[in-house]
Amino acid sequence: MSDEIGAEVALAHVGKRFGPITALDDVSLCVAAGEVVAITGHSGSGKSTLLNVIGGLDRPETGRVLLDGDATWERRRDARMRRGLVGFVFQQHLLLPTLTAQANVEVPLVGAGARRTERRRRAAQLLDEVGLADRAHHVPSELSGGERQRVAVARALANDPRLLLADEPTGALDSVTSKRVLDLLLEVRRRRRMTMLLVSYDPTVGSRADRTLTMTDGRLESGAVTAGVT
Amino acid sequence: MLGLIAANLARRWGRAALTALGVGIGVAMIVGLLALTQGLKESAAGLVHLGGSDLGVFQSNVSDPTASVLPASLVGRLAARRDVARATPLLLVVDAIKGDPGAVAFGADPTGFFTQRLVMVQGSRAQGAAVLVGDRLAQTRHLRPGARLTIEGRGLRIAGIYHSGIYFEDSGAVMALNQAQGLVGRAGEETAIAVQLAPRARPGPTARAIQRAFPGTQVISDPEEAARAGANATLISKAVLAIAVVALLIGGFSVMNTMAMAVIERQGELGLLSTVGWSPSRVAALILGEGVAVSLLGAGTGLLLGVVGSGALVHLLGISSYVSASVTAWGLGRGLLVGIAIGVLGGLYPAWRVTRMRPVKALARS
Ligand SMILES: Nc1ncnc2c1ncn2[C@@H]1O[C@H](COP(=O)(O)OP(=O)(O)OP(=O)(O)O)[C@@H](O)[C@H]1O
Ligand SMILES: [Mg+2]
Repeated sequence: MSDEIGAEVALAHVGKRFGPITALDDVSLCVAAGEVVAITGHSGSGKSTLLNVIGGLDRPETGRVLLDGDATWERRRDARMRRGLVGFVFQQHLLLPTLTAQANVEVPLVGAGARRTERRRRAAQLLDEVGLADRAHHVPSELSGGERQRVAVARALANDPRLLLADEPTGALDSVTSKRVLDLLLEVRRRRRMTMLLVSYDPTVGSRADRTLTMTDGRLESGAVTAGVT
Repeated sequence: MLGLIAANLARRWGRAALTALGVGIGVAMIVGLLALTQGLKESAAGLVHLGGSDLGVFQSNVSDPTASVLPASLVGRLAARRDVARATPLLLVVDAIKGDPGAVAFGADPTGFFTQRLVMVQGSRAQGAAVLVGDRLAQTRHLRPGARLTIEGRGLRIAGIYHSGIYFEDSGAVMALNQAQGLVGRAGEETAIAVQLAPRARPGPTARAIQRAFPGTQVISDPEEAARAGANATLISKAVLAIAVVALLIGGFSVMNTMAMAVIERQGELGLLSTVGWSPSRVAALILGEGVAVSLLGAGTGLLLGVVGSGALVHLLGISSYVSASVTAWGLGRGLLVGIAIGVLGGLYPAWRVTRMRPVKALARS
């Protein structure tokens, strides 16, 4: 449907500490364009930190993070980079409580300076894509947990990201709803062919991803580096 | 963006309303005092041209022009000057007319140009112990020739109704000078002398010449000067400035406090905006916009309060007899400007704080 091609992600010797805690310890990683990578690991192993550093929400202390070979975040343009390249889905939906589903999906488009009619059109289309066309005018408190997370997915897609970072997107949902949201993410990914990094405890996720990485105490364990990466 | 601002304010509407009220009171004070100064200026303008005169001679350094006292001998000496065509003494009695604190009773020489100039619209000019009533006063109080008007506790017969075209005169009453002096027990005293200039004399230089010739007098030839002559007016303009500064500071701090609190409470939300690609300046604009919106709400309330309150203020200060609050567009405009300034001032710091926030920290706290 879309001819959007995923972004390439490369990390070289990335380190990040919080005081005495080493959250990322010399992490090197390469994710090919369009790849789906599942990340597991026990609590506190550094999964969220890894995603935040990749998405430019946080900065590494050492090493380099390259998206499409470009160290965008090093040039202090984080927000612009996220606007054009990266979509996030978190464990909490983080929808703005006073805004309708439709308006929440429009928020990234406001950030991108899109016109109102264009925003309306795009948001309606995205809500339709996540199966919530009929809930567009409800505020988050009127939506179920699964529906809220679907709105969050629609919002993450608003700027046509080439890299989708999902940090335990189903962590707050029951197993049935979890599966639906996961299905949605993978479906969206398949259609748009973006690169996706997915942090999840769900054992079924591994089988649906191209590759599974495990983090332990800030280090990447299995099959971390694929061919062609230093 | 505007919708987001409105929604965010509505979410904490109680706090927004209280902050707005604080700003509103400040703005109301400014509007009210500006209306008062303007009123003083206008009433001073009325005093300058009493009886169609070119100059008004008052005692210098009095709190307001109606408190002036001049010696009776001054009129003759003024009239004798080459640059003066005519001079006539006046005694202004304020708060004298029962039931009408805003009306001034003028004691004037019946043969002087002040009284002679009045155009009679009803009744006759013949005075004696009777009184003449301005058409505005007659209208509001439904007075007719032959009826009685109580001045300084004395019921006086109304001989006629006049029109002069000068607001002060038309909303007051005129009686013989000596009768007015007798009523208030100020025999031989005058408040002011109305002066008409000789054909060639120019108001400004003549005013200065008279002032030099008669020390202790103040000669007023234009309304601006008249407003400055009253110590009240000077005091009030200074008060307006002081209150504007205080309102800016207090209003600014209160908006700042509200917005800083909102920024802390909504860290997660603001972090989210950054996460979905809002630039720091856009997030800052949202916060600044909320601050300005609150203070604009306040300013709107303040303008209303100020317009209503300025009338009350005039009464409160006990100067309603010669000043009525006068709200001008520029007065309202200045109130609004202060309101906007408060919002910008108060919103700047929280907005700046937002730009320093790292989205990941903000998200972690939500
Ligand atoms: N802002 C922070 N300040 C201090 N320490 C932090 C901060 N963020 C993360 N850490 C620490 O860094 C380590 C890695 O945290 P991270 O959130 O990346 O783990 P995680 O694998 O996502 O865990 P979970 O599965 O519980 O979400 C943890 O020990 C955590 O306590
Ligand atoms: Mg985590």
